[in-house]
Amino acid sequence: MASLNNKNLEEQIAEYAVKYKENYYRLAYSYVKNADDALDIVQESIYKAISSASSLKNPDYIKTWLYRIVVNTSLDFLRKPKKNVAFDEEILESHDFETVDTYGNFDLQKALDNLPEKYRTVVILRYFEDLKIDEIAEILNENFNTIKTRLYKSLEKLGIKLSYYEEV
Amino acid sequence: MEDISLQVLKKQYLDTPIPKELDSRVEKAIKDGIAYRRKKKRILKRISIAAASIVVSAALLTIGVNSSPAFASALSKVPIVGGIVKVLTFREYSVDEERFKADIKVPQIEGLENKELENSLNEKYIAENKKLYEEFMAEMDKIREDEGGNLGVDSGYIVKTDTDRILSIGRYVVSVAASASTIFKYDTIDKKEGILITLPSLFKDDSYIDIISENIKSQMTERMEADEDLIYWVKTDGAEEDIGAFDKISANQNFYISEEGKLVISFDEYEVAPGYMGVQEFVIPTEVIADILVSNEYIK
Repeated sequence: MASLNNKNLEEQIAEYAVKYKENYYRLAYSYVKNADDALDIVQESIYKAISSASSLKNPDYIKTWLYRIVVNTSLDFLRKPKKNVAFDEEILESHDFETVDTYGNFDLQKALDNLPEKYRTVVILRYFEDLKIDEIAEILNENFNTIKTRLYKSLEKLGIKLSYYEEV
Repeated sequence: MEDISLQVLKKQYLDTPIPKELDSRVEKAIKDGIAYRRKKKRILKRISIAAASIVVSAALLTIGVNSSPAFASALSKVPIVGGIVKVLTFREYSVDEERFKADIKVPQIEGLENKELENSLNEKYIAENKKLYEEFMAEMDKIREDEGGNLGVDSGYIVKTDTDRILSIGRYVVSVAASASTIFKYDTIDKKEGILITLPSLFKDDSYIDIISENIKSQMTERMEADEDLIYWVKTDGAEEDIGAFDKISANQNFYISEEGKLVISFDEYEVAPGYMGVQEFVIPTEVIADILVSNEYIK
């Protein structure tokens, strides 16, 4: 009767996946900018996470581990040559709609979109996903200071100046 | 973060429209991932089962997941009580809280002449369900300490067959945590002789394993050809060796004998097909096994 006592790793991962699915979706979307691909990425990431659950030794890392898989899957996706570039009209429209709805911050949004991927990722994870620097370091497999420096650079590139007493 | 422009960017980010399909895609990913893991585990387990098959117990185990409509209707089948041999609910455990539900019914067989068999089955049922209940309570305490989650368990039994001769009892456990899972076990008893019928005991030798397996594989292929939504993990002609594809039933594969006297082989969910396919049953045509049956007492 194995079913009850193994509230095991795979189930814990599944719980996280369900709880944070929208976060993963938004993150994936920020890379690929279209709903179909973002859905594919989320699905593939969660599948990967669960099917390779045994490679995660410590359940405390589920949160950052899942983010890491989503980031890597998104990057893989961008690197892959696109099989089909035909755009669905709906997607185009939703895109149009968004660019209109920018509260006059069109340039800033554009600047963010134009940031090199590694700078953009830290901004998203830090300020939009509200992750801590050390969590981001785990997700991106970099050390703490690298992430901190990268974050300052990103803000600089965006022309965002934090008040001198503010910490990234 | 104080900076106004970052706040605006964040708001835009959080306003990313979430497609309705997200839920179903996440669910599918979880199911497929778990299916993959179960399959991997099962391959390892099969090896150990083969080694341990000397310990012949007629308690055969089926694992299934998710309460499909077909499964639910099977469960609602009211136990039929025939002859003097009866199956009763001996005891019921229940928990009914907002996030925690348990309903565990322990079956008890009565009226068998072979008291030793009757007692050993009943003791087994009690022990299993007690363990299940204890596991549930422990899990519940654990979840309570952590922040959230739901837990449910529903366990009971159905009488699959009750003729003058044969009694097949299926016991199930449906547990719900992050995903649902079901365990199914069958016991088949010869009421007249007071013996437990095991799969090997039905046949003259162990050639039944291959004969039944071949029949099941061709049934799988037929079903898949008839309906393209069905998937069985079966090696198809010309395909490369598929790790984990269904090869053979185990010597003590889960089975029961139907009212019509047909041998029905049952598979765990994930054992031979993806989880969404549910528990799988195959009725073995009697003519396929006629030559190797010990007698036609049970299988007709």
